[in-house]
Amino acid sequence: MSAGRNLVEVFTKAPARSRTALLVLLAALLVLPLALDRYLLSVMILILYFAYVGQAWNIMMGFCGQLSIGHALFVGLGAYTAAALFQHFGVVPWIGMLAAVAVCVAMASVIGWLAFRFGIGGTYFALLTIAFAEFTRIGFDHFGWVGGSGGFFLRVVQQDRFDLLNLRGNPLMFYYLALGLAAFGFVVSAWLLRGRPGFYFRAIRDNEEAARAAGVDVFRYKMLAVQVSGGLTALAGVFFAFYYNNLFPEQIFGIGRSIEIILAPIIGGIGTLFGPILGAAVLTLASEGINEALSASGYEIPGVKQILYGLALGLAIMFMPHGIWPVIARRLGFGRGSDGDA
Amino acid sequence: MPERGSNFGQTAGAGVPGLRAGAAPPGLRAGAAAPGGGSGSTPLLAVAGVSKRFRGLLAVSDASIDVHPGEIVALIGPNGAGKTTLLNLIAGSLAPDTGSVRFGGREMAGERADRVCAAGIGRTFQLVKPFADMSVLENAMVGGFRGTADRERARERAARALQSLDMWALRDRPASSLTLPDRKRLEVARALATEPTMLLLDEVMAGLRPTETDLMVAAFRKLNTEHGITILLIEHVMRAVMALAQRVYVLHHGQIIAQGTPQQVTRDPRVLESYLGTGAVQ
Repeated sequence: MSAGRNLVEVFTKAPARSRTALLVLLAALLVLPLALDRYLLSVMILILYFAYVGQAWNIMMGFCGQLSIGHALFVGLGAYTAAALFQHFGVVPWIGMLAAVAVCVAMASVIGWLAFRFGIGGTYFALLTIAFAEFTRIGFDHFGWVGGSGGFFLRVVQQDRFDLLNLRGNPLMFYYLALGLAAFGFVVSAWLLRGRPGFYFRAIRDNEEAARAAGVDVFRYKMLAVQVSGGLTALAGVFFAFYYNNLFPEQIFGIGRSIEIILAPIIGGIGTLFGPILGAAVLTLASEGINEALSASGYEIPGVKQILYGLALGLAIMFMPHGIWPVIARRLGFGRGSDGDA
Repeated sequence: MPERGSNFGQTAGAGVPGLRAGAAPPGLRAGAAAPGGGSGSTPLLAVAGVSKRFRGLLAVSDASIDVHPGEIVALIGPNGAGKTTLLNLIAGSLAPDTGSVRFGGREMAGERADRVCAAGIGRTFQLVKPFADMSVLENAMVGGFRGTADRERARERAARALQSLDMWALRDRPASSLTLPDRKRLEVARALATEPTMLLLDEVMAGLRPTETDLMVAAFRKLNTEHGITILLIEHVMRAVMALAQRVYVLHHGQIIAQGTPQQVTRDPRVLESYLGTGAVQ
């Protein structure tokens, strides 16, 4: 039906330039590992990971205007769900993934229902997301079944095996998984934007009352945005769990993690399709670059890295308040179509 | 101050039934609204005895209005009379404290705004509310998605709405870049793209130049005659009211104090008094 047609048209109706750019990018990313050492491969995995979670968060905030500063909640819940099922019951992650999504959609529904039923919006909504992430973190600290604050560890098998079914394998496998995830996030976002949900999300973001008057069931579509965003983020959590093999509530649910997630889309261009990808690349490369430069220069004073990173963020936001992508898009002539053909 | 006692407005409303020109051929409707020319058809919109109180202020008090299928009806009154509140009560932005709002025979009082829209009522906002970060076409497409997830269908509806208001050339512009009169037209286009049976227009002609007003009047008349869209409009621009409305309701201090043809209403001493103050008409 129209949903399927929209999915096809995400590719066929995209402006020729964008389509070419995307295909070139995808091809480059497919062959890139040939040219990378282990370290650079891990950097690329990080970029793709942040591109994906940024994309997921962007659906909620960038498209629909609902600010979550607790998105690590969904990463953590997704990670723990799939990891616990795998470790305790031997459930393969591809099944565990479904459970993870279900758990996160349920959690997103609770948050969304509470907020939207009782008219909690703006900064108060953001606080609510932080509250849920925090009390879940504290809950997991005392959740013995998954190790509590001492951490939860997955069986690590030989790294050079390539067990796609159980997601046990070498970094190259995880690179392609991350690439698949990032591509999936991009396609889902593009597809949402193209169809009615995208139009309704953006209408709600720009003016709820006008959206309602134009026939938008605001409650339903806000719920949808939060559920889709939470469900997609769960997959990032599953990836995280099987890539790192260890989970600590402190690390995975921490508010610092939530901030990390939202930086890429903000720096890259909030509400845009390419913003989260670009932002993830710029931020990860900047962070790693500063690391490298500092260790090369010998000035490894504690805190200098953070200061430089913060300075870069501040400057980026000062000079490109709408993010990097809109600036580049204008330069390169990636004009936005009149009806959402991004 | 709430004035519950004074009731003379209602008698005027109830005393002149069937004030519509439903029987007239479509082309003649606008100007040809003669008293008593209507049939006894059931009203498309029947607002009966609605009141709305904001704390101490009785913004709308026991107001009743009927709008018949195919009619253009104006709601006028001095600033603060409660016109927009009454419109909000119809459109579902506010729930009335008492009274009923029936649309197409269905009780809609207190219904959610998106359901009212789904039932076939499109509305505009006096204080325009464009989707600022979306293009003009995208703004209208939001309306176009009413009852369908089909993007092409939404786009066609939006295109038709924009064309009928002469806005097609502006389709790629971000809504935030529009002038105020264009934003007002965009309000109408977005409502129109929902393919409503009835349009509620809240001062869409304020701030327009006389020539622009005439264009807008022509556009509404065309929507009314060719597409059969029933219109209820709040308007201060009397040039537009006189040209468009077959019937006029006058709201003052939340109460309907008069109704009739534009000519009747503008000669009504109570109406003149409400606008100009007591003693102005001797």
